Amino acid sequence: MMTMLSRPHRRFRLNFAYFILIPASLIALLPFLWMILGSFKTGREIRQIPPTFFPQQFTLDNYQRVLTDKDLPLGIFYRNSAIVALANVAQVLFTSSLFGYIFAKFEFRGKKVLFWFIMSLMMIPHQMTMIPGYLILAKLGLINNLLGLILPAAVDAFGIFLFRQFALAIPNELLDAARVDGADEFYIFRRIALPQMGPALATFGMLTFMFNWNAYLWPLIVLTEKNVRTLPIILTWFSNRMVGNDHLTMAASVLVILPVLFVFLLVQRWIVEGITLSGLKG
Amino acid sequence: MTLSTRPGWQRLFSGRDSAKKRFVALAVIPLILFMAFWTVFPLLWGSALAFFDYSPRRMGGFLGFGGENAFVGLQNFQKMLDFSSDAPLEVQQFHIGVKITLLFVALVVPLNLLVTLPLAFMIESVNGRFKGIFRTLFFLPVLAPSVGVAIMWGYVFHPQRGLLNAILGSAAGKLVAINWTGDPSLVVAGIPVALFAVIVAYLWQDLGYNMIIFIAALQGIPQSIKDAARIDGANSWQLLTRIIIPLLMPTILLTAVLTMISAFQVFDIVQVMTDGGPKGQTQVLLLNIYNYAFRYQKMGWAAAVSIVMFLMILSISLVQTRLLRTEWEY
Repeated sequence: MMTMLSRPHRRFRLNFAYFILIPASLIALLPFLWMILGSFKTGREIRQIPPTFFPQQFTLDNYQRVLTDKDLPLGIFYRNSAIVALANVAQVLFTSSLFGYIFAKFEFRGKKVLFWFIMSLMMIPHQMTMIPGYLILAKLGLINNLLGLILPAAVDAFGIFLFRQFALAIPNELLDAARVDGADEFYIFRRIALPQMGPALATFGMLTFMFNWNAYLWPLIVLTEKNVRTLPIILTWFSNRMVGNDHLTMAASVLVILPVLFVFLLVQRWIVEGITLSGLKG
Repeated sequence: MTLSTRPGWQRLFSGRDSAKKRFVALAVIPLILFMAFWTVFPLLWGSALAFFDYSPRRMGGFLGFGGENAFVGLQNFQKMLDFSSDAPLEVQQFHIGVKITLLFVALVVPLNLLVTLPLAFMIESVNGRFKGIFRTLFFLPVLAPSVGVAIMWGYVFHPQRGLLNAILGSAAGKLVAINWTGDPSLVVAGIPVALFAVIVAYLWQDLGYNMIIFIAALQGIPQSIKDAARIDGANSWQLLTRIIIPLLMPTILLTAVLTMISAFQVFDIVQVMTDGGPKGQTQVLLLNIYNYAFRYQKMGWAAAVSIVMFLMILSISLVQTRLLRTEWEY
């Protein structure tokens, strides 16, 4: 009876929604499409006014030129981005799970104060530590060093908050049983608590990777020499150098954006979950 | 001092739960040291910089303070209140930055919610198989680097070779060459067109984010509540306005605050698309800070502007904690 009640209403909305969603999603895809189509146009066609939509003379030359451009060793920039993103995922997952677990399952003096202190740091926007952070890196000689993007990023306040929520759900009996068996505390964390937080590790790991992979402002400040740069900075550098050669910048953008976008798409479920958690819980 | 701390330290490493305590201490002490070095110290240093005429190019004493980097007290902040037309350039730029940022936030937040809420309702209402496809299509830009987004939209808004002018041109039957992101004389209702262009690109990337949060919140509403309302004779509109939207209200409020905070800190898309131009019409506050700190090396001034920006964001964040109070109960 309930399904009978809701069915006519649902069918009406269904038709109406498609009417808006299909054109809207096509419009949403246009910028991607425009870039991809442009990357297959010849230099002459790209400068044509008014522009063509589909390439009239389909060419792969742009990709060949970008990939053989000695000033744009994409392999190095892919490697730089990967080093930073993977290192930060590894360390942030370790610290977040460890401290989330400690704040959830242990009592110690000053715990409340420390937890609230870390949580209040979540509210301080990054640009407050941007200038002194740069000066510290300069004093440590870490400007133009990928470590400058890694060392300050070892602790993530939101990660600690998130993992604490997950760790609270671990039954104390499980931990105490292991203690009775004589397991040491780090072993208990690694072998008993950590596996219980598996979904959080996947979700938060993906989110951290994406955040680091796409980061722009801080890498822009820290990495000023070309060959230590990460992909987003090199992409703007290339597009500024190639003004007027849109076909080449478009090809480079496709090469920089699409492969990883495709990977993110495959793991979308975890990223969506992570954003939902962050959105609903702060 | 010693009297009160010593028993604490002794308790830490001995007694009944010594293994637990050692574990906690071994983990928490490095955490505290890390926070002290990478967070507390930079915050203090950054705050102190605001009271000096500091540039990393000049020589100074401890941490670069003093010497050629003179102590100026509250001068940096006093300067900000100079609204006269002969105010120093950085002050005028700061005022532009505040104005543009507030304008940006005031436009982005309502526009975002006006699109994402109906979008979430519509996507939730379609057939299961297509739901995933639509969600993915609108979510895709969230996954892309914002630099890429800015470059892509640059080619949409390009005055000669752009997609938008091409579409308008074929609709009008003549050549259209509007310089969307570069013509300072284009102003609609007091809002620069270039700012609109930046907002379009920003929204395009940001929409998927709130959309999935609203979809998740919608899925969290039990079917039984909706069915009960239907049995009581509510129509679709009443169901939406009387049941669903009130139930979503906490999520909507929180999302609005989070959207506001991130819009305040917009940088990437603006820097790549317009770099603040034309004539400062898109010069948001963070771009202003970046320029003064790292292009012109006037870090003392930039630090003072950072503090003002922080206070603006903090006042919003305080509203956020209010909304989150139940979640954060310890």
